[in-house]
Amino acid sequence: MGPRVVLAVFLAFLALGPAILPEFYVTLLNYIGLYGLVALGLVLLTGVGGLTSFGQAAFVGVGAYTTAYLTTTQDLPAALALFGSSPWLALAAGLLVTAAVAWLLGAVTLRLSGHYLPLGTIAWGISLYFLFGNLGFLGGYTGITGVPALSLFGFELADTHHFYYLIWAALLGAIWLTGNLLDSREGRAIRALKGGTIMAESMGVDTARSKMVVFVIAALYACVSGWLYAHLQRFVNPTPFGLQIGIEYLFMAVIGGAAHVWGAVVGASLVTLLKQWLQDWLPEVLGTTGNFEIIVFGLLMIFVLHRARDGLWPLLAKLVPEGAGERTAVPAAEPLSRRAPAPAGTVLLEAVDVVKEFGGLVANDRMSITVKAGEIMALIGPNGAGKSTMFNLVSGVTEPTSGEVRYCGERIDGLEARRIAQRGMGRTFQHVRLLPAMSVLENVAIGAHLRGRRGVAAAVLHAERAEEARLLAEAARQIERVGLAEHMFAQAGSLALGKQRIVEIARALAGDPNLLLLDEPAAGLRYLEKQALAELLRKLRGEGMGILLVEHDMDFVMGLADRVAVMEFGQKIAEGVPEEVQNDPGVIEAYLGGVD
Amino acid sequence: MDLQIALLLGQDGIVNGAVYALLALALVLVFAVTRVIFIPQGEFVAFGALTLASFQAGKTPGTLWLLIGMGVAVAAIDSFSAWQSRRPRRILQVVGWNLAYPLLVGAAIRYGAPQEWPLALQVLFAMAVVVPLGPMIYRLAYQPLAEASVLVLLIVSVAIHMALVGLGLLFFGAEGSRTTPFSDASFQLGDLMVNGQSLWVVAASAALIVVLYVFFERTLYGKALRATAINRTGARLMGISTTMAGKLSFLLAVGIGALSGILIAPITTVYYDTGFLIGLKGFVGAIVGGMASYPVAAAGAVLVGLLESFSSFWASAFKEVIVFTMIIPVLVWRSLTTHHVEEDE
Amino acid sequence: MKMKSLAVGLAAAAFAALAQADINVGVIVSATGPAASLGIPEKNTVALLPTTIAGQKINYIVLDDASDTTTAVKNTRKLIAEDKVDVVVGSTITPNSLAMIDVVAEGETPMISMAASSKIVDPANPKVKWVFKTPQNDVQMSTAIVEHMTTHGVKTVAFIGFSDAYGEGWYNEFAKVAEARHLQIVANERYNRADTSVTGQVLKIMSAKPDAVLIAGSGTPAALPQVALMERGYKGKFYQTHGVANNDFLRVVGKNVEGTFLPAGPVLVAAQLPDSNPIKKVALDYVTKYEKAYGKGSVSTFGAHAWDASRLLFDAIPVALKKAKPGSKEFRAALRDAIEGLKNVTLAHGISNMSPTDHLGFDQRARVMVKIENGAWKLQ
Repeated sequence: MGPRVVLAVFLAFLALGPAILPEFYVTLLNYIGLYGLVALGLVLLTGVGGLTSFGQAAFVGVGAYTTAYLTTTQDLPAALALFGSSPWLALAAGLLVTAAVAWLLGAVTLRLSGHYLPLGTIAWGISLYFLFGNLGFLGGYTGITGVPALSLFGFELADTHHFYYLIWAALLGAIWLTGNLLDSREGRAIRALKGGTIMAESMGVDTARSKMVVFVIAALYACVSGWLYAHLQRFVNPTPFGLQIGIEYLFMAVIGGAAHVWGAVVGASLVTLLKQWLQDWLPEVLGTTGNFEIIVFGLLMIFVLHRARDGLWPLLAKLVPEGAGERTAVPAAEPLSRRAPAPAGTVLLEAVDVVKEFGGLVANDRMSITVKAGEIMALIGPNGAGKSTMFNLVSGVTEPTSGEVRYCGERIDGLEARRIAQRGMGRTFQHVRLLPAMSVLENVAIGAHLRGRRGVAAAVLHAERAEEARLLAEAARQIERVGLAEHMFAQAGSLALGKQRIVEIARALAGDPNLLLLDEPAAGLRYLEKQALAELLRKLRGEGMGILLVEHDMDFVMGLADRVAVMEFGQKIAEGVPEEVQNDPGVIEAYLGGVD
Repeated sequence: MDLQIALLLGQDGIVNGAVYALLALALVLVFAVTRVIFIPQGEFVAFGALTLASFQAGKTPGTLWLLIGMGVAVAAIDSFSAWQSRRPRRILQVVGWNLAYPLLVGAAIRYGAPQEWPLALQVLFAMAVVVPLGPMIYRLAYQPLAEASVLVLLIVSVAIHMALVGLGLLFFGAEGSRTTPFSDASFQLGDLMVNGQSLWVVAASAALIVVLYVFFERTLYGKALRATAINRTGARLMGISTTMAGKLSFLLAVGIGALSGILIAPITTVYYDTGFLIGLKGFVGAIVGGMASYPVAAAGAVLVGLLESFSSFWASAFKEVIVFTMIIPVLVWRSLTTHHVEEDE
Repeated sequence: MKMKSLAVGLAAAAFAALAQADINVGVIVSATGPAASLGIPEKNTVALLPTTIAGQKINYIVLDDASDTTTAVKNTRKLIAEDKVDVVVGSTITPNSLAMIDVVAEGETPMISMAASSKIVDPANPKVKWVFKTPQNDVQMSTAIVEHMTTHGVKTVAFIGFSDAYGEGWYNEFAKVAEARHLQIVANERYNRADTSVTGQVLKIMSAKPDAVLIAGSGTPAALPQVALMERGYKGKFYQTHGVANNDFLRVVGKNVEGTFLPAGPVLVAAQLPDSNPIKKVALDYVTKYEKAYGKGSVSTFGAHAWDASRLLFDAIPVALKKAKPGSKEFRAALRDAIEGLKNVTLAHGISNMSPTDHLGFDQRARVMVKIENGAWKLQ
């Protein structure tokens, strides 16, 4: 029984639900659907994108209040009258309002880093709650009554059963769209957020945009849930949109498994059903109707997290044998267009008198290096010599205090990392920055981000499959190029460190660079792995690639590099072919350190 | 609004801010050492105050049963693992702290008529009941998850918060309590009338901040905590047990929380669920301080107190809206000015 | 297949329950969350209610809505669909009760709310056909306060209330009555139930120099503004609402409340009512039973709303039983009609005369003015 069969059984169960389940369970499934929709947004936002939000309940409120206001107010201003004429138009209005509010809040709070973001979401979650309660036209704390029932093609959905199908159609639709999004170029960009901003930006991802995309989508899901809630409940007041409920949504996502779309459904089901069962059973078990439900609920949740800290979905998923869902082959596709290669010997990278100061400390002092097409240039030096700083300056992670960095004659110092990547410079990281849970293929495909065009709208509908196939085929080609074809579909995190470093090179190559920047690629590699790496780099050089290598493994560098520059205390102390540099007294002094 | 009103509001803001500052310090401490965002911090404010109120009303506080219950659980788990690793002396220690201690405190309260005790002794016993709950909660809920992500630890905190609020309602009921003030005195300070208890709050907060400073700078345990906060793995390699550091930080945090509750209980009414909003505002202060810097966290908390006080004068219905909306620009400013090191998570 | 047989089994079990024809009363109270201080005495009261009425066994199914509307609606659906209740009593607070109206109307089940707002039984809403309530309307209480103020020389008044449905409902009703009687409201402030300080609001009120202050809060949290005003040396009159009518309030507010006025249901001062007042007997009966079960001084007027709901059922059920068997749609309709037809029912909070346009049925006898004297409630 593969995953498809399980899914089919689940869908059949849902379709037959109202016919076979007791009446009240249909009600519960309605709530599960409503909560699941919000939790799904959180899976995207928190589980996948790594952005924690406590404020989703406020967006549910925006959706619910927009429709409640529009459909119950008697004499709306003419401009709004159209939206108030039908709940469906009110939904459109709600989505617009939510998108606008989310965009505004996102513009302010998404730039918050670390723990500031969750607090920012608490702040606007609370603010919106009190606004709902204090604005007279929204019914104040008492609420708005008489929200009309929904009707579809003239058929009134007043009954719980009819609403059930609408809610679950919305949820399953959202799951489908989310699944599509995650399995696309834009989705990989979103997933790359968890690998850190620097990595994502270096692959050409506009991280600010990706964050905004998930934030707005999560808010829109919450809005739809709120709209459904308002018309199911037919009454709206502020309590269901407060901070406590916002926290509860996050709770559902994490308990269910925040990294998986189905985790949202599992979490919403668990929380809803458990609360219900506790309400039914605890008085019988304890023989008294004290207020024990919330206590026992809290304790059970701690227990669940002790047993399954990634949520319940991964445990459930293990029960289903792997099968059809996994990708096992990459279909052939027309290759992507390539940038014009630089003729061998042309100067690709040129840093002139670059100075970088941190406070009073000079990390790089008038450093100059060049890298040409078809050569391997190595930058070496003892620990703390300033190699990594130099690397960051060249790749756009930081800006030089003074001096110039040029790429193919164009100044690039001060440009963002993704703009530099766009110009044809690929890089790897000293500490491997792969997404361990993603396959090697998808990791490498992130590197090809800039070679695709299609946006979010196409991705959620999977209307970009042709381009996607070309991107994946390109990624597969690069994986074969570096000799990891057998690991193409394995999880990146399952590979040995040496192989992970090679995957990073493949990822950089997927961007079709003319210049490759490698930050200590041989660190932690075994002898044979180093040889394989050297072989690969020679091959790339042979194909006309320029390579800048930052390394402190002397043996590795000396056998490989065409030219070597040596740094100490932020300055270049020697430059030349390996033999020259090896015999330079200054270099020997620096490396062996005053053995007199 | 005249100067006198401004002064009064300022005074009110500082008194509230002092409590938020204490909680902010505790939150920063716990987060730095264990990466736990300790949402239940606020519940201990309520537990501290209401335990004291129970003594004064001549009742046995429910928190005592919680202490004994959790003590039994910890003793059972730890004795079992000590028995497995054949360390009989450890069993003695575990049973002593988690079983004998709660029972002794319980006996003193049950048979000692705390209603008649002097206030200082009542406070001492309220602390004796509430504070050990901190390390016990760490042991039972967080220690098994010490290496989990910040998000998972946060969700555990939410679950504990739910359970503790439920227990609070069970122990103390829905209605609030006030306790006898430490001092009935009030002083005329120019145009300003300052009551003695407010001075107590500010003075005790300031004193506690100094004590914590000395603790972190001068004592071995304090230095160990700081070391753990800076580099967990490094500290472990240096022989500082993560578990010990975690328990110690929870002990301090819960102690600070309970003491805050005891300090404010005479000037306001404390309910079983008072703590959440107070804790949240302490959290705001802590985050303004970047979850790392103690003085900035304290300043942030006082800022929150002042904002709250002034906005409750100008537009009381929109107080929370104002406080939390004003926080956002502060957050943006903090976020842009602090150097953010990307975490390898 | 398993599912199907399970469903059949459940249906059979439900049918069996039906055949026994006990009367099922679903009770929804806010026993946790912000409204817990109101909901807990109501829940406690349920344990004291009669277990047989007119020879029929009564099953009470008590559910907590945690002061949350979503849970209140979910619980109502459960009571109607799973427990097949014949009547729903609840919920404690106004928003929850309003949210439940649609569900009971859809399920054609009568409901007796224990919340204050007159909106709950607003006859303009056709669905309200199924909804009754036992607490006095806010407007009734507001009128009592305004009357008392105007006859005692109060010209200006400041209002401070909870920032929730309770404070909001009170302000709206109070402002309407005050305007009609030319009483000037000079300040309108809000605070949160769990706030630790109301200094800002109090200073604002003091600077408006009102003759009296009305505090609209429930239970012990209503003490905070009064204590703060006293500390700042406010010398005017204090008015509280019936929300404070429990002994915990007196305990917390201490000596600060002497001379405070409030309107309340007669049950608060049952023992002081004249013997000629028929309410006295019913109210004292409730107080005695409650204090016997939960200790002296534990009674609050909120619990009496649950008691009153049961009194209504006590009189209506025998009438309905003549028309249909419990557990049936017909019985619920008959019960609804019977409640609507109740006349002169003496409750702990007043005397109710129901009619199709008045699903509360109280008159002036349902409220008294009370003054706090020597730390106790004193009938005026």
